[in-house]
Amino acid sequence: MYNFKSGITQIDAVSGGFEAGTNFLILAPPMSLAEDLAYSLTRPLTGEYAIVLSTNDRAAEVVDAFKVMGVDKRYVGTIDAITKSSTPGITDTNRLMFVASPTDLTGIGIKFSKMVELIFDGDFSDGESGLFPPPVRFCVNSVSTLLMYRKLEILYQFLHVLTSKLKKIDGVGFYLLNKESFDEKTVSLIKQLMTGVIEVKVEQNVQYLRIQGIKSLSPDWLKFSVQKGQVVITP
Amino acid sequence: MISTGINGIDDMLGGGIPKGSWVLYSMEPGVDGQLFTISTLFSALKKGLSCLVVLPHTTFDIFKHDAAAKRGCPLEIFNKKVVFIDAIDRERIEKSSRKRKEVQKKWEARIEKLCIENEVDVVFIYVDLINDDLGLDGALSVANTAKTTSKTTVILEHLNLDGKRCIERFIKKYTFDLIISISSPFRSHPHFDYFTLMHTSWSTVPKRSVPFVVTEGNVVPYIPKIVVTGPAQSGKSTFITSASDFGVSIDRRGTTGDPTTVAMDFGWLNWKNFDITLYGTPGEPRFDPIVPNLLNHAMGVVLLVDATKPQALERARYHIQLIKEKHLPMVVAANKADLPKTMSDQQIRKELQLGEDIPIFFISATRKSDVSLVLESLVDFITKFTY
Repeated sequence: MYNFKSGITQIDAVSGGFEAGTNFLILAPPMSLAEDLAYSLTRPLTGEYAIVLSTNDRAAEVVDAFKVMGVDKRYVGTIDAITKSSTPGITDTNRLMFVASPTDLTGIGIKFSKMVELIFDGDFSDGESGLFPPPVRFCVNSVSTLLMYRKLEILYQFLHVLTSKLKKIDGVGFYLLNKESFDEKTVSLIKQLMTGVIEVKVEQNVQYLRIQGIKSLSPDWLKFSVQKGQVVITP
Repeated sequence: MISTGINGIDDMLGGGIPKGSWVLYSMEPGVDGQLFTISTLFSALKKGLSCLVVLPHTTFDIFKHDAAAKRGCPLEIFNKKVVFIDAIDRERIEKSSRKRKEVQKKWEARIEKLCIENEVDVVFIYVDLINDDLGLDGALSVANTAKTTSKTTVILEHLNLDGKRCIERFIKKYTFDLIISISSPFRSHPHFDYFTLMHTSWSTVPKRSVPFVVTEGNVVPYIPKIVVTGPAQSGKSTFITSASDFGVSIDRRGTTGDPTTVAMDFGWLNWKNFDITLYGTPGEPRFDPIVPNLLNHAMGVVLLVDATKPQALERARYHIQLIKEKHLPMVVAANKADLPKTMSDQQIRKELQLGEDIPIFFISATRKSDVSLVLESLVDFITKFTY
């Protein structure tokens, strides 16, 4: 079974990383480093691929964020739910696909399937090929925005389909949710779809994370920072 | 009739969708089924029908751009008018009241007004967000106001997040004339989508799933495997060569000096908007162990027999047995019918113990027209076959 390295030495040394076919909710307050954390965990290592569903940043911003981390952009795809509303004529490429708005779950589903298909067919990375079957990291930034546009029950069903598909292809998924904007019922419903939860908190300007759902890992809070896209655990 | 814009489906439906029908294109998440709605829209406009498209999830600019990108030509090439209700209208309607009933009335009034003003013949509605806002009954009630005349056709597209249960509910609770489900097994590799005619009110087409591919903006039904089988020297390789746009035959000189197929033959063809892949089995008994495997996952079979060789029919019975075990639709082609001393239909039917429901075609496999006739019959058979 393939293991996706988190890139965090302390976690990878103990657990080996994230198992293939798992989904993690990143539960964080606003103004935290949750997005940086999510992108860092989604960063594809050699031979891997990443797909980001962005309802907050434009595709160009997502690509830039990965560039800062030193990632080869040929292995990163973005489904952008922002740009098309202001630029209706924008056209899809293999790695940059656009949907009308975060309400358009039909479009999001189609573009996700198309990207996965392109990755499996070897048509994603300009002729370059990674591992096969391809390990795919997937990030939804963010579930919070999707929840603002669609009803909880609908989004639950939609995420159920997405997380199942990711399991089927032995990928790993990270789903960002702002824990302060939604009630407990909403959060616990979304949690049901996940293998684990990566929780973030901020105390006196210090960021902490803890990971629940990986057996060998301690559920203790760890201080962390993000430097050039790399998550660093500090003592 | 209104064409769906997809020839294969029109044929299965007996020509298309009768005017005044209620139609549902139900898409599973991830399947690029939007082309079904867009194909039907283009086809309605081409026929000179006036259309209303209700797009609560997007703007008409984006829709027009996407439709043009998918089909390769803009909506504007048609003289007939198409009017839209889009996401901006939805926002206005939503903001007009906090009461669901009043919002529903606003939707109904807006749709009815546009339908009457523009003498709309076909209405396309993306129901998902209206369903979110008003519930399913409310959304369908809104859609119902579009039927300003008995001839107005209403086509709904929705994202089916609930699988089979959802379709069953639609069939039982609501009176749709046609329900097509568009699905994907989401196998990581190879990837393919398929549509299923779940329900029709005007024809007796059995529930049938047909894979499809999208080629140059068109949905093309795809029959991934038709097997051509039968005794040695019956003309299977010739049949496949005549049928195919492109094919490969793996023949070697046999013990009798005639070429014989080893392993299998392949052929690909596009016929009446169906993409078809043909597999030919070897006829020599020494290859028998692989024939059942070649029949696996086939959608139909052409059994080829030599019409001049009654002694080979016993061998054909072995092939019929294999086909029956797999419950596959089959047609029989009696080849070399252009030669003297051919058997009669009755004689072949009796020897092979074939019922009247299985057609026998007397052909020459070297003639493309004969071969096409056999395939036409088989494709027809496949799309209507009750397993």
